Parts: sequence; C-alpha cells; structure tokens
Amino acid sequence: MLQNFRQSMAWVHTWFGLALGFVLVVVFFFGSLSVFDREIDRWAIPASRFEPQPMPSFDKLMRPIFEDMQPLPQARAFTEPLVNGPLPDHFDKVKSWGAYTTHRDPVLTMFAGYEVPNAKDPETMIFAQRTVDPRTGAALPDDRLKVGSGFFYPLHYSLTFYWKNVGYWIVGFAALMMLVALVTGVVMHRKIFRELFTFRPKKTTQRSMLDLHNLTGVVALPFHFFFAFTGLVIFAGIYFPIGHTQLQALHDQHEIHEALETGLPHDPAGVPAKMASVDAMVKEAQRRWAEKGMAGDVGFLQVQHVGDANGYVSIYRAGTDRIALTGEGIHFKASTGVVMRVDPPPTAVGRINEFLTGLHLQHFRHWLLRWLYVLGGLLGCACIATGFLFFVEKRKRQHAKQGSSGARIVDALGVTTLTGMMIAALGMLIANRLLPDVMPDGWPLRGDMEKYCFWGTWVVAMAHAFWRTAPVAEGRIAPAWREQCLAIAVLGVTAPVLNWVTTGDHLLRTIANGYWPVAGADLFMLTGAVLAVLAARKLQLRAESKVTANTPVMEAGHA
Amino acid sequence: MPDALMLLAALVVTVMGMAWLALSMENHWEQVRGKAACPPATVKSLRVLGAVALVTSLVLCLMVDSASMASLVWVMSVAGAAVIVAFTLTWKASALAPLVFWTKA
Amino acid sequence: MATASISRSDIVWRTLAAVFGGYAFTWGLIAFGMAAMVAADMEFHDAEHLTAIIGFLVFLAIFLTAFAARNIVRVWLVLAGGAVVMASAAELIKNLIT
Repeated sequence: MLQNFRQSMAWVHTWFGLALGFVLVVVFFFGSLSVFDREIDRWAIPASRFEPQPMPSFDKLMRPIFEDMQPLPQARAFTEPLVNGPLPDHFDKVKSWGAYTTHRDPVLTMFAGYEVPNAKDPETMIFAQRTVDPRTGAALPDDRLKVGSGFFYPLHYSLTFYWKNVGYWIVGFAALMMLVALVTGVVMHRKIFRELFTFRPKKTTQRSMLDLHNLTGVVALPFHFFFAFTGLVIFAGIYFPIGHTQLQALHDQHEIHEALETGLPHDPAGVPAKMASVDAMVKEAQRRWAEKGMAGDVGFLQVQHVGDANGYVSIYRAGTDRIALTGEGIHFKASTGVVMRVDPPPTAVGRINEFLTGLHLQHFRHWLLRWLYVLGGLLGCACIATGFLFFVEKRKRQHAKQGSSGARIVDALGVTTLTGMMIAALGMLIANRLLPDVMPDGWPLRGDMEKYCFWGTWVVAMAHAFWRTAPVAEGRIAPAWREQCLAIAVLGVTAPVLNWVTTGDHLLRTIANGYWPVAGADLFMLTGAVLAVLAARKLQLRAESKVTANTPVMEAGHA
Repeated sequence: MPDALMLLAALVVTVMGMAWLALSMENHWEQVRGKAACPPATVKSLRVLGAVALVTSLVLCLMVDSASMASLVWVMSVAGAAVIVAFTLTWKASALAPLVFWTKA
Repeated sequence: MATASISRSDIVWRTLAAVFGGYAFTWGLIAFGMAAMVAADMEFHDAEHLTAIIGFLVFLAIFLTAFAARNIVRVWLVLAGGAVVMASAAELIKNLIT
C-alpha cells in the first residue's frame, strides 16, 4: 500500500470522492431544493397556490373522500405481479385510512390501504392516494406532478431508480462515501484551523479551487457529516433489513407483544362496527395536548381496521415547534371514541432516533434554519464541484502530454452533473408551464411528460458537455462550463417569466401579497441566473488570459 | 425583543466572533492591519473576544428556540459566518478593520 | 514527494474488503447487537435504531481500515470471521428467546 496513513487516506479521498462525487452532487443539490419542496409544488401546481390549512373535519369532509378512493392505474400495475390471478375492478376490503399535513401544506394528502385478494403474501396491501383542497374537498387532478415533493425529493434519496431499490443503494453507498471523504479529507488537510478562512482566487486555478474546496468542506463539516449519517440511519431498514430477514422472528414476536401491551389490536375482529365521530376524537386529542402545555395541530391521523369492531383511530401532533416529526400519539376506539392509549414519552434511544431523523427530514417551522440548511447543501455541492475542478486542473496538462483523455472525461462528467443538472431542473419547470393542462389522447400523462422533459434535457446537456470539453484533452479550459452557465442564466429568467405569463403571478404581485412560496421560487431562480452570468463572465476572462504551459502541479496533501 | 430581531443579532454576533478568531491568525491580521506583527497580548484578546461572541450568539439562539433547534441554528450560523468572513478577507479585508479599532495599523 | 505506487490487485482486494467485507461485518454486528439487546429486555425498535446508528459508524471505520492497514489478509480474516461469528451468535440468541 502507499507509504503512510496520510497517503492511503489521500488516495481513498481522491478516487472514491471522484467516483461517488458525481452522485453526491446530485443528492446534495436536490436535497437543498427539497428543503422547499412543498413551495416548489405550489409553483408547479398553480391550483394549489393558497395558504396552508389545518387538517379539515374528518366526519364532514374527509370521510366521504376516503370511502370514494380507489387505487390508481400505477398502483394496480405495481401490485399485479404480486397476485395469483387478476386484480378486482373495485377494492372493497379497506384496512387503513391515513391523512398527513404539515404547516407548509395548503393541500391535504390522503391514503387508503386495501386488502389484495389472492395475493401471494397475505399481508400485501394496495394503496389509493388523493390530494384535496382542505377548504372544499375538491380533488386535485391525479396527473398533476408535485415537482418538489413528488420528484425532486424522491430523486434526492433514490435517483427515482426504483428497480430492486437500486437507486436507494447507490445513494446509500454514496452517503457512506461522503462520510469517508470527510474523514479522509480531515486527515489530509494539515492546516485545517490555520486555513479555515483562506481563499486566494488570485492564485492559480488549482490553488484557488483547493482553497474553496477546503473552505466549503470544513466550515460546514458538522452539517455534511450529520446529513450523510442521518440519511443512512433513516433508510437503515433498506440497507440492513435484519428485522425482516434474519431476525424476522424477533420482529413478529415484538408485534404480538406490543399489541398485547398497548391494547391496540393487531388484526381485525371480523365483526363490523360503525365509526364514532372522529372530529370529537381530534378535539379531545387537542385538549389533552393543550393540558400538557403542548397545544398543537394534528400532523398525522390514521384509522386501522376500518369499519371493524377492533378499529382504532391514532392521532399524532405535528412537530412544528420541535425537531421530532410528530409525537404525542393518542389512540381512540373507533366505534366509541373512548381513549384506548396515550403514547408514553419516548425512551432515550427513541429520543435520539427522533432527533436524528427529525434533523434531516425538517418538519419544523423555522424559516431561518431552513435557509441555513439550503446554504449547507449548496456548500456541499460547491465542495464536491471544486473537488472535480481541482482534479481536472491538476491533471489536464499531464494527460494532454500523455495523450490520455481522463481529465477530459472527468470535466465532461463534472459539467453534466453540475450545470447540466441545473439546466435539467429548470427545463422541467419550464415544461411544467408550457405543457397543456391535459395531454391529448395517446400521450403520456402531464406529470410523466414533465419527467421525460427533465431527463431529456439532462441528456442533451450531457451531450453538449462531452462535445464542448474537447480542449481539456489538450490541457486547456473547456468552453462547456461557460456555455452551460449562460444557458442557466437564460432558463433561470425564462421560468419566472413563464410563471407570470401563464398564471399572472408575477413578482410584484406575489411579493405584495406576501405569497412567499411562489415569490421565493422565482427569486431563487433569478438570483441563480445572475450568479450564472457572473460565473460565465469570469470564465470568459480566464479563458482569454494567457495560460502558461508551466503552471506548477500541486499535491493536494501539501498546503 | 421579537424573535426575528434576536436571531438577526445572533447572526451579527456570530460573524463578529468568527472575524475576531480569523484576525487572531497571522496571515489574516496582515490582510487587515499590514505587515506589523500582531502583539501576543492582542492575539490572546482576539481569541477571547471571538469565544465570548460565539457563546453570546448561542445564548441568543437559545432564547428564541428550544435547545435542539437552537443548537442547529447556531452551528449553521457559524458555518455561514465563516464563509462571510472568508470572502470578506479575500475581497474587502479593510471592512474588518473597525473590529480591531483599538490596535495600531 | 515520492509516492509508492498502488498495484491493481491491491486496489481490488482492498475495495472488496472495504465494501463487501465491511457490509458483512456490519450485518453481523447489527444482528448480534439487536438479538443481544432484545434478549436483555430492550424494546425491539430501540435495539434496531441503536444498532443501526453504531453500525454505520463501525462500517465507516472498517472502510478506512481496509485501506490503511498494512496487511490486508488480516483485515479479511477479521471481517469475514467476525461476520460469521456475530451472525451465528445472533441466530443462537434468537432461537433461545423466540
């Protein structure tokens, strides 16, 4: 192996950082956008541009909707292979109902889980989902894609590559490599405190890129470490599914034990029963929370064993004012409305887990902290991007002399996964404004069209990136960077303009009305466009100045 | 004092604290005060000022939110402040001179 | 600074150890930890969460060790052996308490 500990750690940092960096920059960028995912939903679905609402009346508004819901074609297609024989046209045996809202959701998302007859695994369920306006109960059309919470967010944790969970595994491995890169980076960086504030843009590209890489990596080190780590903890059930494989027996034993201990029946009784007023249960839950000095809104409501004598309603408080997502669960007997169980305070481990997951998933109301999270995420992107740029700068002259195209390929991939990715996101939002409200017959649904536009735009950006990084193979700077920055600038202005043209919600109006979800999204894109123009100019100046062939090659391990 | 103002104060104090810590380092002191070396007593007082400022901003954060939220706000504001200080030192180091107004140029 | 070069076979063996050896060892650790904690009367999901938290940190340490260690054979023995021993112990405990 390499001569010493520091060298071997430098090797790991360079090569694993490079390989997984292309995935990580995507995860960090869409993670940053996901902080405001529901606000992006408002931008993408103008019909939902109203103020966030508390959970509406269950008895009057939600119940008829629950009773009407049926699984969508997508859910049916997903369940087909899990069944012996055909799926019924109408699913009758409902097992559970659920509704979920946060302080940032104008619309309410409702779920219903049905038994699947003839399923290979008897525990199989099929789900129906509907998004409604809580003020009226009117449903949003099913083909409206929630670009933020329904696309950017899943892209962030799974690359929307669901076959055999491969996307989750790639992101998970990348997260582990992020931790590796952070630790090895600290090992390599000898003057970590002395250079904490150091940024020397006037020196060589290599030096300034390395300075920026170190700066963005070190100042937000706790953030980068915690987010990668908590991301892994959140999906631990996927990565180490021990409770559902090797130790399934312990899991099942626990479920039975818990049902006995809590009094919440695990299975239905098979005896039908009417449901008491859930609104009264909600009122009682809120009264009890207020009594504890924790008055709050309902965050999550679930009905188990619907219509059965064993049915129970679970009501959880939204964690708007704390890190934990939801809590203070109270369970009522569905047929009588009597309180069956009040969840005890969490154990020490439970509290640690709640803190770690809540820290990452951010359901709290704290606008400053949210923006600080976006800052952290963008610092992470900058760290990874400057890592690529340093890698290419350090090697492109060497590679040019050797006739190797390694540096060129890395640069092309860097352009693809950084500026190319931003172009794809903007392209999708533009498509969102330009596509007709209902796609003509024979065409994919509107939401699917938007996704195709996203991927299509990214592929075009990649082709451009590979074409326009040819000069790197000769040791020179690639025009691809500047050209894609200009594209970002154009698209970053086009999207808000299209928002104005297609919805009438221009910045003066949204700011005057204080409708920050849409104003914020427009402003963010416009700011990005300005930064892209500045970057393009800087790149232009750099390309025009003479670059000497004898620029010293630096070792990353040496300051 | 309303929450927003207290958080703003916390951010400002964090920036000042990180700036003082940066100025206690030789190369950054030079950027602001020129070639004259920083006397050891000043270095020490700058480190103390920096530490006190960071503790103060943590206290301000704790006065606005619960402990778990406040600690996150504080850690992230330290990161943001470090970036602000780094960029200020790079492009307009003289802007930090008022923070060491009692020392000689 | 002169750097010793790293051979291709070294890269392959260390990467395999880091990724697959590390995964196997962590699986064994989590399985054993869960079984032992549940046997010691800890709530099932608490045991799940705690072992996952510890497990990922251990996986991180293993990954770095696979590249830092002088003798990769020893690393393989510890990872493979540890995985087998701990996973087996988990089985044993599970059979005792269910």
